[in-house]
Amino acid sequence: MTLPTRLRVPSAVIAAGLALTLAACGGPKTKYGDAGSVETVTNQFGSTDLQMLAEQMSQSMLSEAPVISSGNLPIVTVQEVKNKTSEYIDTRAITNRMRATLQKSRKVRFATDQAEMQKQIDEIQRQQSEYYDQNKSTEVGKMVGAGFRVTGEITSIVKEDKKIKDVYYQLFLSMTNIQTGIEEWSDTKEIRKTTEK
Amino acid sequence: MKAVTLVIALLAVALAAGCGTKKGFEKPGFAFGCPIGESKISSMEDLVKAKVAKEGSKSPDVEIEEIRCTTTGDLMKIDVVVHNDESDVERLQYKFRWIDAEGMRAADEESWKPLLLYGNSRQTVTTIAPNAKARDFKFIFMGQD
Repeated sequence: MTLPTRLRVPSAVIAAGLALTLAACGGPKTKYGDAGSVETVTNQFGSTDLQMLAEQMSQSMLSEAPVISSGNLPIVTVQEVKNKTSEYIDTRAITNRMRATLQKSRKVRFATDQAEMQKQIDEIQRQQSEYYDQNKSTEVGKMVGAGFRVTGEITSIVKEDKKIKDVYYQLFLSMTNIQTGIEEWSDTKEIRKTTEK
Repeated sequence: MKAVTLVIALLAVALAAGCGTKKGFEKPGFAFGCPIGESKISSMEDLVKAKVAKEGSKSPDVEIEEIRCTTTGDLMKIDVVVHNDESDVERLQYKFRWIDAEGMRAADEESWKPLLLYGNSRQTVTTIAPNAKARDFKFIFMGQD
């Protein structure tokens, strides 16, 4: 059966309308991006800040810390890096990235830090149980302590008016000889971000 | 007459020594301290051409003026002088790509780092190789959105 012409036109219009509606309601599109790209979505602490600070601090340690550049393969432990900014920053993400970079350089070794200590003890104790071959189990009292500790803080200064928001971050890190208490290396790295409203 | 000949000879020796100074410090396969392999690089311009790459569609209006390399222990240390000869502020992003002795990647790809250059200004970007395997490098830059 053939429909009258005056009915066919609205059908075509309805079909086109439906197609347009569906396309418009397709929802947000997700794409993979470059994890290393410069991110400027807001002026809060972001991925580029984390990557830059970790990279610059690692480079500074490799070139400026005599105990590292001398090739003595020092054993280091990472202590808390205090977040003194007004926003939430996972400072461990910065030090973890630094640790990975420094370890890959094969210039530093890292001892178990405070945050990981309980897991380390639990594993040693687990291996002491009757389920394990004691000849192949890890012995108690064989852990090696660090010769140096890394600690620091991140601070920020935020200034804002009706037109501009200015954020300044400063990361300070230092490495101290645990035996002598002498600070062997320290550095600060800064970032300034300005948003015009 | 003998004195004149002696003076000329001394001058010639001094001149030869003066001209030879740069090459005298340079190890074979290096130019301005930077590794060049088999490439024939005789000027800073050639070195910049060999070591610098632009990526992306947005090309910042800056000039890479100089690249100098040295070593700290067994790690390569690099200075790159970027010059903005325009009066406007230029924003770019850069990274280094590290290559080992076999021409393979010596380390993970670095993240892009933003750089601001005021009008008519120079900035020296400094870096150190992430490990001793890194024997060569490329300085890569592009404009910032």
